[in-house]
Amino acid sequence: MSTIKETTLPKHLQYKETGFKKSSNVIQALSIDILLWGYTSLVTYKVIYQKLIMNMRHADFTWSQPLAALGVGAIISLILFMTKFSIGRASKGLYEIDENETYMKQPFMFLGYFIIILTFVVGLQVSQVSMREFLSEAGLTGARRIFTALFQPNFAIIEPALFAAVETIYMAFIATAISLPFAFLLGFFAARNLMSNSPLTFAIYNLVRFYLNISRSIEPLVWAIIFSVWVGIGPFAGMLALCLHSISSLAKLYSEQIENISDGPIEAMTATGAHPIQVIWFGVVPQIVLPYLSFTIYRWDINVRMATIIGLVGGGGIGTMLMQYQGLAKWNEVGLLVIVIAIIVWIMDYSSSKIRASIK
Amino acid sequence: MSTNILEVKDLQKVYPNGTHALRGVSFDVVKGEFLVIIGLSGSGKSTLLRCINRLHDPSSGSVKFNEEEVTTIKGSDLRQVRSKIGMIFQHFNLIPRKTVLTNVLTGTLSKTSVTKSIFGIYSEEDRAKALSLIELVGLSGKENHRADNLSGGQQQRVAIARALMQNPKMLLADEPVASLDPATSHSVMQYLKKVNEELGVTILCNLHFLSLVRQYATRVIALKGGELIYEGSPKEIDEEWFRTIYGEEAVEVTID
Ligand SMILES: Nc1ncnc2c1ncn2[C@@H]1O[C@H](COP(=O)(O)OP(=O)(O)OP(=O)(O)O)[C@@H](O)[C@H]1O
Ligand SMILES: [Mg+2]
Repeated sequence: MSTIKETTLPKHLQYKETGFKKSSNVIQALSIDILLWGYTSLVTYKVIYQKLIMNMRHADFTWSQPLAALGVGAIISLILFMTKFSIGRASKGLYEIDENETYMKQPFMFLGYFIIILTFVVGLQVSQVSMREFLSEAGLTGARRIFTALFQPNFAIIEPALFAAVETIYMAFIATAISLPFAFLLGFFAARNLMSNSPLTFAIYNLVRFYLNISRSIEPLVWAIIFSVWVGIGPFAGMLALCLHSISSLAKLYSEQIENISDGPIEAMTATGAHPIQVIWFGVVPQIVLPYLSFTIYRWDINVRMATIIGLVGGGGIGTMLMQYQGLAKWNEVGLLVIVIAIIVWIMDYSSSKIRASIK
Repeated sequence: MSTNILEVKDLQKVYPNGTHALRGVSFDVVKGEFLVIIGLSGSGKSTLLRCINRLHDPSSGSVKFNEEEVTTIKGSDLRQVRSKIGMIFQHFNLIPRKTVLTNVLTGTLSKTSVTKSIFGIYSEEDRAKALSLIELVGLSGKENHRADNLSGGQQQRVAIARALMQNPKMLLADEPVASLDPATSHSVMQYLKKVNEELGVTILCNLHFLSLVRQYATRVIALKGGELIYEGSPKEIDEEWFRTIYGEEAVEVTID
């Protein structure tokens, strides 16, 4: 008698060299080449030729240009595909390269280096980096005026500034506090180990994960703009925006924490005949409270910064105040607000990291 | 009335990943026995215990506990059966950061309402019982210590107290001494023996060391590759059986 273990490799690890697989690799390799060369042709024409060499002010854009570039790219790719210069072939492993040789000196890297340099040059042009403007006489006087004003903050507005700062901190706190129970619940639904037992719970898990990913990828700033149309400009709109983002971020962090806990206490509680809610309360919760607390405090810290930024689009608090004075070009007042914000951010950062370190 | 507390028939377990961990295991357990299960790593010992209290669902076959079929029950019926079967584990599986007393009290969860247990409200009776069990396992004075700060042997004794808190008719022990040193192993086994003899709790216990088996078991079954290949008294395990169970090259290691 012997132990027979049926071991089957997961699909993606089973290696079968089939004709189809090979030709699809070639197609992918060629597509990579065409895209890279197409990109190279397009930006070389638009930026290097039209802007830098011909110095055109308003080079007009037509959709035929990228198409033509792709065409040029395709021709170049087809020619180079036969040689040692194809990045596509290299990335699909279609070259036989000696294990001891480094990739850095291979011919196909030539295009790679070229694209990096090209992109850097184009980047400078697109972001309009200009030393002339940076060092221009008028520009420097303006900057000097603002900087002197900033360094002479107007302490007359310290009282309203502090009130606005307090408003921001409270807004961030309330947003964190309101998010907490929602994130706490969602965290369980987004934890793979708790949800992968039955098809129904696994479907819920996927749905929740999807929602969390989508809502997290939309910046709080955008939510703030949406909500300020909905409930009017002010702290409430800012708070709603923060809440939405905090719920998703916290739920994600919480669920990852749940996925990392040890099964032991859960098994032990289940074995006593405890109700599933009791199993979670005694088997899961004690393992996660401290990390949760730490995440939540960190989130409050993040929310104070975000609340300041959201204030710039009318979410209330010190950000809104900053925006108003900036609009009036009252630089001494702006200087004071910048100092107040810096101090708050520093205090929050310092105390939150201290608290988190002490509850490890 | 039958004296069998447990009847296992043709139990099969195939894990979702395709591992065939139990291949038709059948045996009976008489009330009051100290039954030890031996076998190589991976032979299916843990799987067998977990199929009995349904921490894992068996793929087919039957498990009767006190003549009640447990492979098909669900929800509160299942919890009811589980509450009569205590379990202790190799890694103790106590609740971290909680006191010894709280840990022992979790043994009454099945009889305490969800809300009460969440707010930590237990009856005076339960508290008194928990304290007396803590005394029984020799940990008086430690009831308010954090369980995860205790030594391995002490943690396992807390786990025994927790299991006894359930008033179990049967105790499943999955390698209860595998992470303990020899002296501590014996002390923990002594407590299990006491539970078995003085409280009359039937015990099913996975063990690795044959010296412990000979000393504590009243009966032994052996698993190999998910099949039951030996059933008998611990004294009958001779050289030949040893080789069959553990393989030709195995040499017995003793613990004393
Ligand atoms: N949750 C699981 N999922 C998939 N396979 C599992 C799972 N648990 C155990 N197995 C497999 O089932 C077989 C039996 O494992 P089991 O843990 O029951 O053995 P064991 O006799 O308790 O071994 P050990 O002495 O190492 O604890 C092994 O091949 C193991 O890999
Ligand atoms: Mg095991």
